[in-house]
Amino acid sequence: MNRALYIRRRITNNVFLILSLMAAAIGLGWLALILSTLVMNGAFGFSFAVFTEITKSTGSNGGLANAIGGSLIMTSIAVIVGTPIGIMAGTYLAEYGRDRPSAFLVRFVNDILLSAPSILIGLFIYEILVPRMGHFSGIAGAAALAVIVIPVVVRTTENMLLLVPNTLREAAAALGSPRSHIIRSVTWRAARAGIVTGALLGIARISGETAPLLFTALNNSGWVSGLAGLNTPMASLPAVIYYDALSPSDDLHKLAWEGALLITLAVLTLSIVARFFESRRY
Amino acid sequence: MNSMAPVDQNQKVRIDIQNLSFYYGAFKALKNVSLPLYDRKVTAFIGPSGCGKSTLLRVLNRIYELYPKQRAEGKVLLDGENILDGKQDINLLRAKIGMVFQKPTPFPMTIYDNIAYGIKLYERTRKSILDDRVEEALTRAALWNEVKGKLKESGLSLSGGQQQRLCIARTVATKPEVILLDEPCSALDPISTAKIEELIDELSKDYTIVMVTHNMQQASRVSDYTAFMFLGELIEFGSTERLFTAPQNKRTEEYITGRFG
Repeated sequence: MNRALYIRRRITNNVFLILSLMAAAIGLGWLALILSTLVMNGAFGFSFAVFTEITKSTGSNGGLANAIGGSLIMTSIAVIVGTPIGIMAGTYLAEYGRDRPSAFLVRFVNDILLSAPSILIGLFIYEILVPRMGHFSGIAGAAALAVIVIPVVVRTTENMLLLVPNTLREAAAALGSPRSHIIRSVTWRAARAGIVTGALLGIARISGETAPLLFTALNNSGWVSGLAGLNTPMASLPAVIYYDALSPSDDLHKLAWEGALLITLAVLTLSIVARFFESRRY
Repeated sequence: MNSMAPVDQNQKVRIDIQNLSFYYGAFKALKNVSLPLYDRKVTAFIGPSGCGKSTLLRVLNRIYELYPKQRAEGKVLLDGENILDGKQDINLLRAKIGMVFQKPTPFPMTIYDNIAYGIKLYERTRKSILDDRVEEALTRAALWNEVKGKLKESGLSLSGGQQQRLCIARTVATKPEVILLDEPCSALDPISTAKIEELIDELSKDYTIVMVTHNMQQASRVSDYTAFMFLGELIEFGSTERLFTAPQNKRTEEYITGRFG
């Protein structure tokens, strides 16, 4: 045995371990700093008025009720519209397309869409919807968010379906089950947890998006109500954070911090729920 | 090379394989195989890895068609009709020819639903009749006593041997005419293997069974006829007793005596 070689390898081993630990500490350290700043600025003096009152004019205490409502409405519409499209497209890629040229094309375009800056998507929806409608609206905001959700869901759905072993598809086919029935009754079911996780990650992704909303839904300091409300500018948490943080008022700064904390907690909860679903994967 | 297998005149031919060749892309995996499969008998395909025995089995229910680059040439006559000519509805064909795979493949649903799945594909039955059919299938697969109290539990909660019997029950439940078994015991322990072999013996009273195995003892224990394959060719076919005691081909003899493979 070459002793010098062995000692050198042990040293290399330790250096490598220390470097890895330092990198992990730096990454986690920033996260801890961000979270603690958020909690310090957002949690103290936090009152339930945030949930019940709407944004008031500068100088008086208000809440974020209209922004929370707007975010919930636009995110919900985006998910209701985007998730089925994403799941169907992902299913096409994994179950029908596979190695076909058309699938390569769809996959390629989807990857571009997945990594496209969200401000571009906001601009795109602005161009095609806002001038035609004549004004900013919740519908345009939801449309922009839906375009962001779709590629996330396509990607996770395809990946999760590819994890389902082919032997399971063969077993269903061997019983005389037609293709579409196999997909609906066996492969989707086997990949269910992963597909749900993908949708949840999509929600997490769009719930913090600001740029696409500034061009589409803009903001609204009042309540929107009814279906007609969708056709008016709509407030959202990220947009309110953006405007309030830039304002000179301390009250609004505080509201912005509280909004930021709310979004972070919501995304955190979604991630934990997503993890839970993922761990129950078939 | 004797690919033309002698026909046993006393038996009814259920599936007649004639001049079958098979391709994975450009690779020719089966070369002009001809072979009769007899009604309500167990036929075993044996041979070293890569000899084409699983490929041959996978032609019989056209399961290979799930993959675009695989194709078969020749004839496979089921009761006189060529299943390869494309006129046969593929799903109806597969409903007639059941298949059990190497690894257990329970669907991610309850034990009950696993069995009911195949039945519900082609039949509209009342719940009470469906219940009976599920019980009947599980009983035939010697699994009923172990699962009757937990039909609503996931099929994945069962042990490997139980899962494989569940898959056999699922296949039997649809009342097929032929059952294909692709190394059904290779992932199982000896006790589960013994149970499945017993089951195959029992099922052969009603079904035509074709089984791929890499275990020669298993072939000699459970099959009536054996086909020995090598490098995509059928080397020898005959009654299991004759093939194992008096092989006519030198390579068959070398293989069954363990000199290669």
